[in-house]
Amino acid sequence: MRIVVCVKTNYDLQMVRVKGREPVLEALPYKVGDLEKNALEAALQLREGGLECTIVALTVAEANAKVKETMKEALALAADEAVVVNDPALAATDQAALAAAIAKAIEHTGGADLVLFGEGSTDNYSGLVGSRVAELLGLPQIGYARSIAVADGAVTVERSMDDMIETLQAPLPAAVTVVSEINEPRVATLMNIMKAGKKPLTELSLADLGLDAGAAAPQKAVLSNLAEEQDRKHIIIEGDAATAAAGLVDALVKEGVLGR
Amino acid sequence: MDFRYTTEQDLFRQAIREWLVKNLEPRARGIDEAEDGIPDDITAGMAELGIFGVTIPEEYGGMPIPDDERLVYAMIAVHEIARADLSMSTPVYTLLTIGWSYIVNRYGSEELKQELLPAVAAGKAFAGINTTEPGGGSDLGAIKTIAPWDNEKQAYVMNGEKAYVSGPRECAKWGAPSGHCTLVKTDPAQGHKGMTFIWVPAHLDGISYTVYKDMGRMGLSTGGWIYKDVELPKKYVLGEEGKGFYVNMDGFNAARVLVAAACLGGAEKALEISGEYTAQRTTFGKPLGKWEGISFEMAGDWMQLDMLKLNLLRGAWMIGQEHTSPGQFSRKEINKVISTCKCLSPALCHDIARHGMMYHGAFGYTKETPLEMLLRGVMSYEVGAEGGLMIMRGIIARDEWGETHNPFKD
Repeated sequence: MRIVVCVKTNYDLQMVRVKGREPVLEALPYKVGDLEKNALEAALQLREGGLECTIVALTVAEANAKVKETMKEALALAADEAVVVNDPALAATDQAALAAAIAKAIEHTGGADLVLFGEGSTDNYSGLVGSRVAELLGLPQIGYARSIAVADGAVTVERSMDDMIETLQAPLPAAVTVVSEINEPRVATLMNIMKAGKKPLTELSLADLGLDAGAAAPQKAVLSNLAEEQDRKHIIIEGDAATAAAGLVDALVKEGVLGR
Repeated sequence: MDFRYTTEQDLFRQAIREWLVKNLEPRARGIDEAEDGIPDDITAGMAELGIFGVTIPEEYGGMPIPDDERLVYAMIAVHEIARADLSMSTPVYTLLTIGWSYIVNRYGSEELKQELLPAVAAGKAFAGINTTEPGGGSDLGAIKTIAPWDNEKQAYVMNGEKAYVSGPRECAKWGAPSGHCTLVKTDPAQGHKGMTFIWVPAHLDGISYTVYKDMGRMGLSTGGWIYKDVELPKKYVLGEEGKGFYVNMDGFNAARVLVAAACLGGAEKALEISGEYTAQRTTFGKPLGKWEGISFEMAGDWMQLDMLKLNLLRGAWMIGQEHTSPGQFSRKEINKVISTCKCLSPALCHDIARHGMMYHGAFGYTKETPLEMLLRGVMSYEVGAEGGLMIMRGIIARDEWGETHNPFKD
């Protein structure tokens, strides 16, 4: 059985500074996305649970010039091999083009019995790519998995709804997106880090996948990407403790925080 | 020339930081207060990550990393552990164990390596260093513990006393094969040339210990040993009989890299704590950090910290190079770089911890911040462990200007 975990590499978000409401993205290191680590861990746990499988970590490089180095983390965490779609045309693209490249890359590298995704990427969090890839490959898709089991040619998934836990089943091959509650990804051991560089990594261009550069052209444009502005009111309530407390309650009621 | 970590070194650093922040940092205060050693689940988790195997080859259960990078990995590990446990208990436990295992691997017999190294790599043994005696530690030529060869017993028979040694309780807890690299006189008449560096497993007959009450790093015991007719077979000799002083000094250079890494890791974390506090705490209408009396002192500390981190990397790299392809650097060149790190890092860590306490005011004097714990812990390396600060200056004077400036010989 072949499990393909689609991994987005994104900036190390803990190191992003915001200046004038815009993120400063200069010289930031890339990391494997957080939810993708959950997806890799889920694949690893399926194997540890007795499922015989090859785990493939697949990524589209986008603008990550050191993608092969970043993917060593995925190889150290869980994957047996990595596939990287790396093409200058994909440096600035959108979810539709990414999904097209991922779907083609899966077909090109031996297909998949199970395709796993994070429910969204740690940076943009659009949550679109999993569904798009499933559609392009004609696979049944289950989103927001909090558990995954594979048996008898089918995948069984639990997901949390507002007031219940829903259990769904789909025949393999299938696509599943996972949420962070599914597991707590372990950190890579030094042994696995040292082995990662020796595992196979296949690099493919759009041409290798039979796609032309036009396929990567984004169909949407980002007009602005601004941090939320926090307006503080700086209301100072004067007086002794009792007066100030009453004043605070009044102010909170006025703001609609209390007494709704 | 490349000043960056390799991808693997960086992944290792990130992975262990993630684990240590989650698993060790919240328990550092508890480890210091309990005075009951490093919890088993911590050492087991660290072993699982590969930390105890960084200086040990794969054939003895260690990690498959290039030999010339082993000390760099060890340095990264100790630095990160020190960031997480500012009491210095876990970093010192670790640096002793992986540092002296490095020397056992370099100088030990095949039998000793088989006996000790797999248990160390699995996190189930302590390895330490044992040179100081009640009469002192810096003047190693004057040690009194003897272990002459006894032909009848086919063993070195050891008698004497050692003092201020880390790890007696840890050796008792783990049992065999835990112990210490120990400096003895196998031929007392020969002075320096009669000294041998030898592995002494702590469980052998004739060995007893006491435990001292220390000021800091309360999660790691310090004590003294008494040896009465302890029989040590030949397999425990490190290097050659009679060459102990030089093997010991080589070991100290590696260990001092890791001591400095512990001090710089603690210092780095303390300076971060100060950075956060002085950004938030306001006095007279502005954050503390806006007062140049504070920010300039912090900038000065940052500069020294950055320089020492670079110098330490250079030292770890030089030793790695020298051990894998000897002849690239003289012993003097290495001594000077390492002595610089060992001399300046503990004092800088102390200063940064103390400065941080000052920025915190009365709050800094409480146990609500980990700064006082760091101050107490790092003092052990200021008073002398792994080489006194004046000894480091003496080494630099001797190795830079020669016999006219050698304080160790009249």
